[in-house]
Amino acid sequence: MADENSPHRRDPIKSSVGNVAAQRRRQSAISVGKERRESLVRAKRFCRVSVSGGGGDDGDISLDHEMVIDEEDSILEAQTSSAVQELQTAVAFQGKGAMQKRVNALRELRRLLSRSEYPPVEAALKAGAIPLLVQCLSFGSPDEQLLEVAWCLTNIAAGKPEETRALSPALPLLIAHIGEKSSLPVAEQCAWALGNVAGEGEELRNILLSQGALLPLARMMLPNKGSTVRTAAWALSNLIKGPEQKAATELIRIEGVLDAIVRHLKKADEELATEVAWVVVYLSALSNVATSMLVKSDVVQLLVERLASSNSLQLLIPVLRSLGNLVAGDSRTTCSVLVPGHEITDSVITVLVKCLKSEHRVLKKEAAWVLSNIAAGSVEHKQSIFSSEALPLLLRLLSSSPFDIRKEVAYALGNICVGPAEGDGRPKLIVEHLVSLVKNGCLSGFVELIRSADTEAARLGLQFIELVLRGMPNGEGPKLVEQEDGIDAMEMYQFHENEDLRNMANGLVDKYFGEDYGLEESSS
Amino acid sequence: MEWNQETLQSLSQCFLNTLSPSPVPRRQAEAFLSSASEQPNYGLAVLRLVAEPTVDDQIRQAAAVNFKNHLRLWWAPSPADTTRILDPEKDQIKSLIVPLMLSSSPRIQSQLSEALAVISKHDFPQSWPNLLPDLVSNLQKASASSDYTSINGILGTANSIFKKFRYQYKTNDLLLDLKYCLDNFAKPLLDIFLKTAQLIDVAAGPGGAAEALRPLFESQRLCCRLFYSLNFQELPEFFEDHMTEWMTEFQKYLTSSYPALESSGPDGLTLVDELRSAVCENITLYMEKNEEEFQGYLNKFATAVWSLLGEVAQSPSRDRLAITAIKFLTTVSTSVHHTLFAGDGVIQQICQTIVIPNVRLREEDEELFEMNYVEFIRRDMEGSDLDTRRRIACELFKGIAANYKAQVTSILSAQIQNLLSSFATNPDANWKDKDCAIYLVVSLATKRAAGGSASATTDLIDVERFFNTVIVPELQSQSIKEFPMLKAGALKFFTMFRNHIPKGVALGLFPDLVRFLSSESNVVHSYAASCIEKLLLVKDEGGRVRYTSADISSVLLPLMNNLFAALRFPESEENQYVMKCIMRVLGVADISQGVAAPSIAGLTSILNEVCKNPKNPVFNHYLFESVAVLVRRASERDPSLISTFEASLFPSLEMILANDVTEFFSYAFQLLAQLVELNRPPIPASYMPVFTILLSPDLWNRSSNVPALVRLLQAFLQKAPHELNREERLSLVLGIFSRLVASPSTEEQGFYVLNTVIESLDYGVIATYMVNIWHALFTRLHKKRTVKFLKSLLIFMSLFLVKHGSVHLVDSMNAVQAGIFIMILEQIWIPSLKLITGSIELKLTAVASTKLLCECPVLLDATAAQRWGKMLDSIVILLSRPEEDRVEEEPEVPDLAENVGYTAAFVSLYNAGKKEEDPLKEVRDPKEFLVASLARLSALSPGKYPQIIAETLDAANQNALFQFCNSYNCPLV
Repeated sequence: MADENSPHRRDPIKSSVGNVAAQRRRQSAISVGKERRESLVRAKRFCRVSVSGGGGDDGDISLDHEMVIDEEDSILEAQTSSAVQELQTAVAFQGKGAMQKRVNALRELRRLLSRSEYPPVEAALKAGAIPLLVQCLSFGSPDEQLLEVAWCLTNIAAGKPEETRALSPALPLLIAHIGEKSSLPVAEQCAWALGNVAGEGEELRNILLSQGALLPLARMMLPNKGSTVRTAAWALSNLIKGPEQKAATELIRIEGVLDAIVRHLKKADEELATEVAWVVVYLSALSNVATSMLVKSDVVQLLVERLASSNSLQLLIPVLRSLGNLVAGDSRTTCSVLVPGHEITDSVITVLVKCLKSEHRVLKKEAAWVLSNIAAGSVEHKQSIFSSEALPLLLRLLSSSPFDIRKEVAYALGNICVGPAEGDGRPKLIVEHLVSLVKNGCLSGFVELIRSADTEAARLGLQFIELVLRGMPNGEGPKLVEQEDGIDAMEMYQFHENEDLRNMANGLVDKYFGEDYGLEESSS
Repeated sequence: MEWNQETLQSLSQCFLNTLSPSPVPRRQAEAFLSSASEQPNYGLAVLRLVAEPTVDDQIRQAAAVNFKNHLRLWWAPSPADTTRILDPEKDQIKSLIVPLMLSSSPRIQSQLSEALAVISKHDFPQSWPNLLPDLVSNLQKASASSDYTSINGILGTANSIFKKFRYQYKTNDLLLDLKYCLDNFAKPLLDIFLKTAQLIDVAAGPGGAAEALRPLFESQRLCCRLFYSLNFQELPEFFEDHMTEWMTEFQKYLTSSYPALESSGPDGLTLVDELRSAVCENITLYMEKNEEEFQGYLNKFATAVWSLLGEVAQSPSRDRLAITAIKFLTTVSTSVHHTLFAGDGVIQQICQTIVIPNVRLREEDEELFEMNYVEFIRRDMEGSDLDTRRRIACELFKGIAANYKAQVTSILSAQIQNLLSSFATNPDANWKDKDCAIYLVVSLATKRAAGGSASATTDLIDVERFFNTVIVPELQSQSIKEFPMLKAGALKFFTMFRNHIPKGVALGLFPDLVRFLSSESNVVHSYAASCIEKLLLVKDEGGRVRYTSADISSVLLPLMNNLFAALRFPESEENQYVMKCIMRVLGVADISQGVAAPSIAGLTSILNEVCKNPKNPVFNHYLFESVAVLVRRASERDPSLISTFEASLFPSLEMILANDVTEFFSYAFQLLAQLVELNRPPIPASYMPVFTILLSPDLWNRSSNVPALVRLLQAFLQKAPHELNREERLSLVLGIFSRLVASPSTEEQGFYVLNTVIESLDYGVIATYMVNIWHALFTRLHKKRTVKFLKSLLIFMSLFLVKHGSVHLVDSMNAVQAGIFIMILEQIWIPSLKLITGSIELKLTAVASTKLLCECPVLLDATAAQRWGKMLDSIVILLSRPEEDRVEEEPEVPDLAENVGYTAAFVSLYNAGKKEEDPLKEVRDPKEFLVASLARLSALSPGKYPQIIAETLDAANQNALFQFCNSYNCPLV
C-alpha cells in the first residue's frame, strides 16, 4: 500500500474533458480592445440636421451650402469665440426682444458647432460656453431655445473625452428635459446629447444613472416609431453598457420595455431594429435577469427572423451577438427554447450557416461563437449541428481562416465531440463525431492551435488532442497525433510558464508517448 | 528577527559560508538560514543586508538570491499557522524594494527584479496600488532628465511585472489587471519610446558616439518587450490607435543600420540585434493575432525581414535575430496571407537564401560538437533545438509546406540531391553538404514518439534507399575517426528511422555500432549508445519486441566491454546515454555469470566514484537502475549470485549512509529492500544494522525518504517478522509512527508506517500496541482535523478491518474509551466515506464498510436502523458517483516536509520496484461485493432491509442501488 496516499493520483487531464463540455462562453465583460461597434456605429454622434425635421428653421436651409465652404480653423475658432461672447451679452440682456436675441445668439453658435467635420469645441469651451448654455436650459425656456442649446451640447459632447466631461454641469437639466412634459424634438435632442455623454465611458454613465436618466430614456423608447424612439434606444444602449450589470437589470424591469423590444424587433424598420438590437446585446451580455426574461419572450424567434431576412451588416451584427449571448446564458432556459427537433432550432442553425458563409469576418466569427455555445448543449444539439451544413463550413474555416475565427470554430468542433455531464456520469466522448471530424482532417487545425501564442487556443488544442489520444477507436489516436506532428507541438510546452498548459502537454506526452520502461512486462 | 549590527554580522558570515567550497561550513550555514527563515522579519533583514553598501558584493548577491527564494516560498498567502511573512513586514518590503532595486548593481538588480515579480504576482495591483503610479512618476522624472540608468531600471521592473500577461489565461480578473496597467502605462510607454527614438535618430547621425547609443537601444528593447506583454492577450485600444507610431519606429530598426554602435565591439551589434529581435517578436504577435489591423504594414515588414535575413544568414553569432526573423516569416507562411510565398520562384529563393545557409554547419556548431557534447546532443537530438537557427529554418519550410506541399517537396528533394552529389565529387572538402542533407531529411521528418513503437517518417526521400546509399557507408566506414560529425549524423538518422530499417540490415550493423562506442568523440559514442538503446526498444506490430537476447548474444561481451570503456573517456565519466544503454542491455540480454561478475564490479566502482560528489542525477538514476536490473535478473537465474551482489554492494551502501549522501538515500533503501526480498529466510546477520536505519526518526522526517523506507520496512516485515518483534523494535517503529502522525505535514508518512505494520503482522503481535495507536490517532483527530487526515484514518480503519476483522476493530477502539466506535462511525466514517479517491482506496473502504454493514452488531441492532441506512447511503454515493462529483477540492496546503533540509525528491527505481499492492485481491468488484453481501443479509430477515432503504436512503441513491442489484442480479428481499 505504499502509494495509498499518493498525492499524484489525479490525472490532470481527466477533468479537462469536462471543461470542453461546459464551454459556454459569453463575450468577455471586460475588454481592453477597441469597441468594434464604433467602426460601424459610432458611440458618439455628431448632429448636423435638426431633429425636428429641418424645413421651417431658417438657419438650416443654407446648411448644405455652408458645409462646402472649407474655412480655415483659425477663422472658425475666432467666430466661435465671438459667438460665445454674443451669447453672453444676449443672456445678460433683459430688455425687449431678449428672448429672440438669445435664440439668435444660440443659433449662431450652434451653426458654428455643426459646420465642420472638426467642430471648434475647444474654442467654445475656452470662451466659457458651458455656464451660459446651462443657464439657457433653465425650466420654462421656450422650445426653440432649448432645442438650440441641446443641439450645441450634443456636438460639444461628441468631441474629445475631456470635452464630453465638460458637460457635467448640464446633465441634470438635460435629464429633466427628456421628461414627458417636454416637446418631442426637445426631448430627442436632449437624449442625443445624453447618449453622447454616456458613450464616453463608465464614469459618466454612472453619473447619468445616479441622476436618473434611465427611466425617462426608457419611456421614450416605448412608442411604436419615430426618430425619437431610435435616438432613445441608441442612448440607452450607451447608458447600460456596463461593465456593471445593474443598469441593464433595471432597464428590463421597467414596465413596457420588454414589450417594446419585442414590438420593435417584430415591426420596426431596419434602422430602429438595429438600435434596439444593440440594447438587447448589452442586456443579454450583462444581466442574467434580462437574459432569462428575454429568452422567455419571442425575442429569440424574432432575432432569427431578422437574421434570415436582412442583409444589412449594421443590423446583423447586433442581432447575431444578441442571439449568441442568449444562447450562452442560462443553459436550462436556453434548452427550453432551442428544443432539438423543433423548427426554431433548425432555423437558428440555418441563419448561422448563412453568417458563416458571409464575407464579413465579424459575422463569421460570431456565428462560430454562437454555434460553439449551442454545441455545448445536449447531445441532440450536437447532433443537429453535426448533421447540418454548418459542419463542412466549420471544418473549412478551421484550416483556412484568420486566427480569431479559427479559435471560435475550434470551440464549436470541440464541443460537438464531448457529451454533456448528465446526472451521475462524467462527460462522455461522442466517438462517432470525433471519428468523423478527425477523418475530415480537423486534427491538423487543432495541432496548429497548440502552436499558437494564445494560451486559451493552446489549451483548447491540447484538450482536443487528449480526446483523440484517448477516444479514437483501436488506439489509433497516438498514431494520428504523431502524423500531424503533435508530439513536436506539445513538446514546445515542456518548460512553459503556464503551469496548467505545461502539465497538460507533458502529461499527455508522458502518458501516450512516454519512455518505455516496461520492456519486459510487455514482452512477456 | 531584529535588525541590528549583530544580525548584520551573523547573516553576512552565513551568506559567505554558503559560498564555501567545503561542505561542513556550507551545510551549517544553510541549516542556520533555513531555521532563521522561520522567524518573523527574516525577509526584511535579508533585504536590508542587500541594501547595505558596506557589505561585500558577493555576500549581498547571495543574500539577494536567498531573499528572492524566501519570497518565492513564503510570500503567497498560506494557512494561518504557516505564515512566515506577516503583513507589516510585507508592507515594509514593498516600500523598500523599488528604490533599492533602481539603485543596485545589475546582478542584484536582476534578483530583486525577480523578487518584485514574485510579490506582484500575488499583490499587484490590488494590494499594491501605489506601485504602478510610483513607477510612472519615477519614469517621467527620469525621462525629463534623460537619466537612462533609472529609465531602464523602471522599464525592466515593469517588464517583469507585466510578463504574466504573456502566459496566463484570459480571465476577467486578468483582463481587469491588464486594463489597469494599460490605463496607467500605455501612454507613458509610448512617450518614452518616441522620445528615445528621437534621441537615437539624433545620436545615430554623423559624429554620434556608441556610448550614447547603448542605453538608448537597451531602453527601446525593453519598450518592445513591454509592448509584447501588453499586446499579448488582445490588441488594446490605445495600441490600435497608435499603431502607426509604433510600426514606423519598428520598421526603422529593421531597415536602418547604426554603424557607430554596430562596429563598437561585438556587443554593439548584439544590442542592436536584440532590439531587432524584440521587434520581430512583436510583429510576429501582431501577424498571428491581429492580422487584420496589421495587414497594412505586412508587405513592408515582410520585405524588411527578408532582406535583413539575407544579411544575417551570412554572418555567425546573430542567431537570436535570425531565429526571430525566420519565425516571423513562418507565421506569415501559415496565415491567411501565405500568398506572399506563392510568387514564381519565391520558395526556391527562400530555400537558397534562408533555409540552406541557416541549416549548414557553422563553426560554432563544430566547436560545440567538440567542446560541449552534452549541449550539442540536447539541441541536436532531444528537441531542445527549438531555438537554433538550423531547426527554425526547417520550421519555416514546414510552414510553407502547409500550403505548398508539392513545391516544397520537389525543391527540397532536388536540393538534397545537389548536396549529395557535391559531397560525392569531393568528400573531404564538401562533407558539410552531406551533413546538411542528412539534417534536412531528419528535421523535416515527422517527429515520432521517443520510446514507443514508432520513430519517424518522411515523404522527402525513400528511407530505405537513402539509408543504404547515404547512411550505411558512413556506418561501415573503416575509420571511426574521420568526419565525426558525419558519423554522428548517420547514427542519428539510424536512430530516428530505426523502425523502417529491416531487422536483418540493422543486426548486420550491430558490430559497427559497438565499434563506434570506442570513438573518442563524445557525441559519436553517445549516439552509438543511444542508437543501441533505442533499437532494443523497437516493437513490431502487436507489441512484440523486435530484438531479443538471442539477437545480441554474439556481440554481448564486446558490447559491455566497450560500454564500460566509453565511460572512461574524458568528459564521459558520467555519460547518461552510455549508462542508459548499459541499463537497457542488462534488461534484455541473457545474463550469465561471465557478464554478471564484471558488470557488478564495473557498476560498484562507478557507484563509489559518484558517491563522492553526486552531480548528474540522470546518470545516477540509470546507474542505480542498472544495478537493480542486474541484481534482479541475475539472481532470478542464479540465486547463488545474491551473496556476490551483497558482498559488492554492502560497502557502497554503507558508505552512502555513513557519509550522509542524502541524494542517494532513497536509492540505497530501495536496493536494500530488493536484496532483502530476494533472500530466503533467515535473513543474514549482515542486514541487522539496517534496522538501526529504519528506527532513526530523522530519516522518516524527510518525505523523499519515506516511500523507500516503507518499502524496506515492508520487506523486513514480510521476510523477517520475528526480527522486528525483538528488542522492542516494533514499539520503536510505532513510536516513529506516532511522531509523524502528530503533525499535518508528516501525517501521510505516519500512515505509511502504520499501514505497513498493520497489514503485515498478526493481530496477536500488535494487539498490545493497539491502545497506544488509537490514542495517538484520536489525539491528533482532536487537535487538528484535516480532510487528508480523515481520509487516511478511514483507510487505516478499513485496512485493519479487512485484515483483522471487525470485532478486533470495534473492541480495540472501545478499549480506549467506551462507546467511541459508534462516535467515530457516525462522525467520521459515514460522512467522510464519500471523500475517498483512488481505485484501490475506494475498493478497500467500500468493502470494509460493507462488511461493517453486514456483520457488525453496532449496525445490525434493531435500534440502529437509521445508522445502518446512513452507512449504506454513504457507500452507494461512494460507488455510484464519479470522483469529481463527490469530492470537493481541498485548497493546496504547502507541503512543509518538502522544505526540510534538501529538496531531493523520491525517485522510484523501476527495476527494484514492487507493484502497488491491492490488499483485497480476492474482491474483484466492490459494487458486486456490496449487493451480494446485502442480498445474503436481507435473505436472513426478508422485508426488513428494503423498508429501511426506502425510509433512509436518498432517492437518487435508492435508484443507484436498485440498478446495482439489477445488473448483478442480486435482488434484495
